[in-house]
This record gives sequence, C-alpha cells and structure tokens, in this order.
Amino acid sequence: MVDKIKVEDLSCYYGKKCVLESLNISVVQNEILSIIGPSNSGKTTFLRTLNRMSDLDSIYSRRGDVYLDSASVFDMDMEELRKRIGMLFAMPISFPMSIYENIVYAPKRLGLIFKKSEQDALVEQSLKDAFLWNEVKDRLKSSAMKMSGGQQQRLCIARILAINPEVILFDEPCSGLDPISTARVEESMVELKRKYTIVLVTNNVKQASRVSDRTAFFLMGKIIEIDTTDKLFVSPKKKQTEDYITGRFG
Amino acid sequence: MMKFNPKLSQKLSYLVLFLASTLAIMPVIVIIFIIVKNGMSVISWEFLVSMPKNGMREGGILPAIIGTFVIVMCTIMLTLPTGVCAAVYLNEYARDNTLTRAIKLGIVNLAGVPSVVYGLFGFGIFVMFLKLGVSIISGVLTLSIMELPVIVTTSRNALNSVPYSFREASWALGVGRWQTIRHIVLPNALPGIMTGAVLSIARISGETAPILFTAAAFYAPHLPHSIFDQVMTLPYHLYIISTQIPNMPNNIIFGTALVLLFMILTISFVAIFVRVYFRKHEKW
Repeated sequence: MVDKIKVEDLSCYYGKKCVLESLNISVVQNEILSIIGPSNSGKTTFLRTLNRMSDLDSIYSRRGDVYLDSASVFDMDMEELRKRIGMLFAMPISFPMSIYENIVYAPKRLGLIFKKSEQDALVEQSLKDAFLWNEVKDRLKSSAMKMSGGQQQRLCIARILAINPEVILFDEPCSGLDPISTARVEESMVELKRKYTIVLVTNNVKQASRVSDRTAFFLMGKIIEIDTTDKLFVSPKKKQTEDYITGRFG
Repeated sequence: MMKFNPKLSQKLSYLVLFLASTLAIMPVIVIIFIIVKNGMSVISWEFLVSMPKNGMREGGILPAIIGTFVIVMCTIMLTLPTGVCAAVYLNEYARDNTLTRAIKLGIVNLAGVPSVVYGLFGFGIFVMFLKLGVSIISGVLTLSIMELPVIVTTSRNALNSVPYSFREASWALGVGRWQTIRHIVLPNALPGIMTGAVLSIARISGETAPILFTAAAFYAPHLPHSIFDQVMTLPYHLYIISTQIPNMPNNIIFGTALVLLFMILTISFVAIFVRVYFRKHEKW
C-alpha cells in the first residue's frame, strides 16, 4: 500500500481559533477515505488545506506539512497542485455555458488539448466516466444550467476528470441531491477509485459506510478514530465514535 | 385607538402609493411635453447639420452636437478601459486590508463630489498648470476624472454580482487567477459593466459644469480641427442661448433642449435594452 497523501502534524487556524489540531493521517493510493464528523469538526478545512484552497483566505494560517507523493504541497505551484488534486464542491457549480464548454474549459486554459477532435474525444470520455454520457449526448451544446442538480454534480465530476487529476476531493457532494442522484454519484465514486485516490467528506454516515474503504471520525479539529470502514462501523474503539455513528449526537 | 376598516385602509394606502408615484413621474412628462411642444417646429435636417448664424439666433446647432459627441466618445474611451481594469484589480487582486478598504471608500465618495468642483479642479490642473488651454483635451480629462469613480463603482458591483463559487470552481480546476477573470468573471460581469458605461455616457453628455471652464466655447466659427481646439457643446450652448443672448427666438432654445433630451433618452434606452437583453441570457 502506497501513501498518496501524507499529512504530518498539521494544525490550521482561522484568526486565533484553532480548527485542526496536530493532525497525522495518510491517504492510500486508490482508496476512498471518508471523513465523518459533526459540523465545525474541521472536515472541510482539512480538504481545503490539501489543495490549498484555504490559502485564499486572509485569516487562515497553518503549521505542519502535507505531502503528495512525498513532495510538500506547500512548496508546489498552486495551479499545478490543483490540477493534480481535483475538488468537487457541496453544491454543483456548473459554469453558465454549454455542457461541452464546461468540460473543455479547464483543459483548454491549461493547454492540455488543442485540436477539435481531441476535445470531442475528451468530452465523450469524461462524460462516460462520470456516468452522464447517455443522458446528455444529444444536447452537448445546450446550457449546463438547465440540467438537474444530480446531473450538474456529475458534470462537475466529468469536468474534474477532464484534467486527469491523481486525487479527487469530494466535499459533501450529495448534500443537495435526492436519493437517486446520490446513488448515481456514489456509483461513479466507487468506479473512479480504480484510477484515482478519493477523499470524501460527508455528513451522511451511511454514505461513508457504503462507499469508503477507510473512515476517519473528526471531532472538534481532532481525529478521534480512523480505521477500515468495516471495523469502525461494526466495532468502534471510542465511545464518541459509537455515539456519532449511531446517531446519538451530531 | 380608532379601529380602521381594513378595506378602507387597503384603498387608502393604494391611493397614497399611487399618488406618490404619479408625483414622481409627472414633472418628467410635463418637461418632455413642454419641450416637444415648443421645440418641435424648429427641428429639421437643416437645424441639425448647419452652423449657427446671426449671433446664433438662426441656423443650426451642428458644432454643438459634434462637440458633445467628440467629448463624450473620447471620455468613455479613456475611462471605460481604465475603470474596468481598476475595478478588476480592486475586486479580484487587492488584499482586503485597511488601505484597500480606504481606497474603495474614497472611490465611492469621489463619485459623489459635485461636478463644478471637478470643473474647477480641471481648470486648475489641465488648463492652467499643464497649459493645455481651454480645449477638448482639457475637457475630456476633466470629465474622465469625474466619471472614473462612477465607472469603477458600477464595474465593481458588476464583478461582485458574479458568484464567488464560479471563481472557486475555476481555481479548483487548476486554472489561474487571470484566466479565471478573463474567461469566467468578465464575460459574466459584462452586462453590468456595459449598463454602467452607457449610463455614464448619458450623464456626461448632459454635464455643463466640468466643461464650462475647460473645453466649452461661447461661439466657435468653425468645427474643431484638433483636440487642442475649443468646442461648443449642447448643454453649454443651451445655457448661453437661454441666458446670454438678447432676442433669442424661443423655438431654437426649446429645439436645442429637445435634441439634447432626445440624445440622452436614446442612450438611456440603449442601457435598458442592454440590461434586458443580457438578463434574459443570465443563467444563475
């Protein structure tokens, strides 16, 4: 098992408030690692630290280090890092342009593709990998904003796949979706695991148990417990974990 | 306490609100009506394309139309690019600290400075100090300084109306700041920026005070040859013929006002059209 991401003694602060405290965690290549925990437990901050989206916040500061393939992400060029670590947000954010344009947007800007034929192939492949191709293949030129929430979220996945990242971060990707759309997105996650390494932050404990290989339980900026999903859900070691996954608080 | 009949109070408030809006719109209608009624008779092709004659009591207003047109176009060509760039910098790049906040506040306040102050400022700087004289260039620079804060403010509002999440989504795909601005933020802010620009055009076409000391001529016997010439402009021409010239025929005064009014109304309608057109295409 190879560690794709290794987090060493990471602490994050917003102003003076400590939101993550001395975190040590690693993400194994081609696994789905779920992070569960009540709100304010630092889950999203953790994700946004991995691809350095948090750096945009002026009151945010951090200590410690995060390694991607044993190179510190804080020494990398931000754009290069985000190309390697894609991120899916809680709400589907399609750009106000056509489905086709949405997918080729980033690859074009990053200079990954040039020819029309390459673009067409990339759009088809990404949409197929995100399980969206059959639903939209006849209307690639129509606006992405007209699709349903679930479709838009899968379009966002396709958009990430188009830049061929190594890791994909999911930040509560199904919080705004109905059960059927959620099932679709989960389906694609399990499929994507073969090629990518996935970190999934979710408020939905059941979702974590359905899709992930390992699960970490965060509380008040600390990791309370991390284990394979089966073990964590069947026989949690800590009382707090048990309380949370059985729904007694949070 | 007296108890109101709910139906009566419903009718009463409707009446008050209706009267208030009538009161707001009435003067505009009356002004337009009076100007059209008195000025329509003088409007002809001849009036629009010929030079004034006989101490401006006869002939047309061509130099004033051209002067206004030239000054407005030069001003907007100078302010729009500068203003949009400044807005992009302030909104997308500048760090949020006390200094930038002070600058932003300053710009908003500059937009509220009376135009005659700008006129005097322009006179001091461009006409006297830089020795550009009373000329198109002095007038354009003065109007630009006056209009820049307005353009910056409207452009910043337009940029702010583009959801922050679009930027984040683009950055998260590894796309850089400038590319995001260029391909996501600006295209979506364009309608707002354009509306602001068109309204600015309407405002500067009607301004008298800033060009009073810096660009406007009482009477110019020929059309301007270069940007260092003085020009006649519609608002100033209107002021002169209505106050400074004895025995001025009334219909020429109203005719000139009508042309100015028509110009500004047309520009405003373009602004409304632009906004409606783009709003239909807005998708979030």
